[in-house]
Amino acid sequence: MQGPGLVLERLSRRLAECPPDFLADPARLGGPGVVVPAVAADLLCSLGGSPLDEVRAAGIQGAESAPFARNRLGLALAACWLLADPWFREAGGLAARAEALLRSGLDALAGAVRFEECVTAADRREELVRVVLAALGLRPDGETPEQAEDRLRSLDSVETRRVAELSAERTARAREVARRMARKAAAEAAAKVSRE
Amino acid sequence: MSVPAALKERVPLVTAAGVARFKRLTEHPDAPRFNHATGDRLVRADLPALRRFRDALASLRAERKPGPPAPEVLERVRAYSGRVPLLRARLLKGLDLRRHWDEVPTSSRRDLAEAPWSFVPDGEDLERLVIYRTAGTTGHPISVPHHPLAVAAYLPLIELALERHGVKLEPTGLEAACFLLGSQVHTYSYATVLSGWGGAGFVKLNLRGTEWPEPGSAARYFAAFRPPLITGDPVSVLEAVRLGLPLAPKAVVTTSTTLTPAARARIARATGAVVIDWYSLVETGPIGYACPRGNGFHQLPHDIHLEVVDRLGRPAPEGERGEVVVTGGRNPYAPLLRYRTGDSACLEYGRCVCGDPMPRVMGLEGREPVLFRSSDGTPVTTVDLSRLLREFPLLQHRFVQRADLSCELTVRTLPGERLDRRKLDAALRAFLGARPLDIREDPALGEDGKKVVCYESALGLTP
Repeated sequence: MQGPGLVLERLSRRLAECPPDFLADPARLGGPGVVVPAVAADLLCSLGGSPLDEVRAAGIQGAESAPFARNRLGLALAACWLLADPWFREAGGLAARAEALLRSGLDALAGAVRFEECVTAADRREELVRVVLAALGLRPDGETPEQAEDRLRSLDSVETRRVAELSAERTARAREVARRMARKAAAEAAAKVSRE
Repeated sequence: MSVPAALKERVPLVTAAGVARFKRLTEHPDAPRFNHATGDRLVRADLPALRRFRDALASLRAERKPGPPAPEVLERVRAYSGRVPLLRARLLKGLDLRRHWDEVPTSSRRDLAEAPWSFVPDGEDLERLVIYRTAGTTGHPISVPHHPLAVAAYLPLIELALERHGVKLEPTGLEAACFLLGSQVHTYSYATVLSGWGGAGFVKLNLRGTEWPEPGSAARYFAAFRPPLITGDPVSVLEAVRLGLPLAPKAVVTTSTTLTPAARARIARATGAVVIDWYSLVETGPIGYACPRGNGFHQLPHDIHLEVVDRLGRPAPEGERGEVVVTGGRNPYAPLLRYRTGDSACLEYGRCVCGDPMPRVMGLEGREPVLFRSSDGTPVTTVDLSRLLREFPLLQHRFVQRADLSCELTVRTLPGERLDRRKLDAALRAFLGARPLDIREDPALGEDGKKVVCYESALGLTP
């Protein structure tokens, strides 16, 4: 879906102007900081969703043991600020998708980029805007679906990291280390005066 | 005197005096039947590095505070973050390590079990790589990439622990500076000389009767060399006491499992030596030595950062229990970042009454000694079983022996691997005899987030 007024630059600027409250440390397990499910609850209501019950709130808070839990919550806060733009409220019908995004749609990005960077760095801002829009089934004004997809792919931090790790050089190194380790495991180690 | 090529390869810095010492240790008529050969693999450039480490160890002991690591440890983490595959995959680029230290993901034995290569930094020359394989008593079977210089650092670490207990070792040139004792079905045994201790002799041996030429050999061998330092797990040292071997060391350093007050008293009474409990893991190297005044374990190396953390990796408040986590160290093939040891303890800070300013690991749990027996009563140690189990593709295991000597082994195999149960059953029975033995496969073993107690026995430590 595309809509007049869904201008990428405007949304990116909105992220750049994210108030400090939305960049504060998110609260974890009853600790200090911004309670992300509470912020999300207000947002989802404004988008026409039903009030969050405990189970849904816990889904947005996410597992504390999940990798990058704090970063994911930080990204969720930034996404809440973005989605508080009047355009989304006026569009209507976006609450369910927004909730799904806040629950699990930011997990991969959370493992690749610090949430602060998604506000301070232009490319990362654009990436977060595009991730959010894609999750909501939207695309920026003036772009075809293919163009939107291409641009998101070119910015994709998760993919960039994965591809870098899969580069021929790194894969060859991993293989070489694994091969040497296997060979050395069969050889003598070095004398050690105490055991563990 | 010519230097045998094999010895030169294992101990590149061996001297003529060292060769003579090595021969006396190995060719003594009562020498144990050594089943292995190895050496320190130190090269010329390692000795000044070892001296620098020894100096730093003494001069950089200072009070630490809870919180993020010292700047030099943080700097090391930063330097490695782009080079170590595991860090690259897990550490958020640009994360403020000092401010958000608790956001730095922890690592564990499981990581080493599944992808040990991911600990080795890119660009690190692999020529000097050595591997220690262990199933340990606390987790997954692992292969730990190590470096001879990092292993040699155990020497100054032991010296310092002894000094803190009022013992000056002075090992240089000794016929045998140290005997490392084992008492188990099988263990590697060898003699060598240590360049890091001026070519002093070192023997790793198995006290088991079948390992010696004849009755009385062990006693005569001990009497001939009288090492000033004995190391070994408490069960093995107690076995040496029980056998009435002529032990006259200055110090006994016990490792691997908890040294109970009763065992300490018995060893001290029998040997007249200072007895020091030692906290060390293959992955981390030595972490702590027992305080001479009984205040837990003092952090031993200056170049590690200790924390205790909760299940989520967040630092536990001072004085509260958590899992001991180690960052840093000096092993260039496995720079550790928030490595979970699997042991539970709390940390205390501030200068101790013994005078050591370094933090103290208090109430350490996770090293309880466990002993099994075969159907004919022969002791079978966790090391025996670990050595056996590591030949199978296991991610985790749990072995239990009941009072009637029946046993149950629960295993979780490595992803994508198949377990040869018949072979495993046969291997276990070769150690344990024909007692009832159940082998169970549980793909969810350890999945509940709780620590798997790998070994449990209803049998006591003494017959």
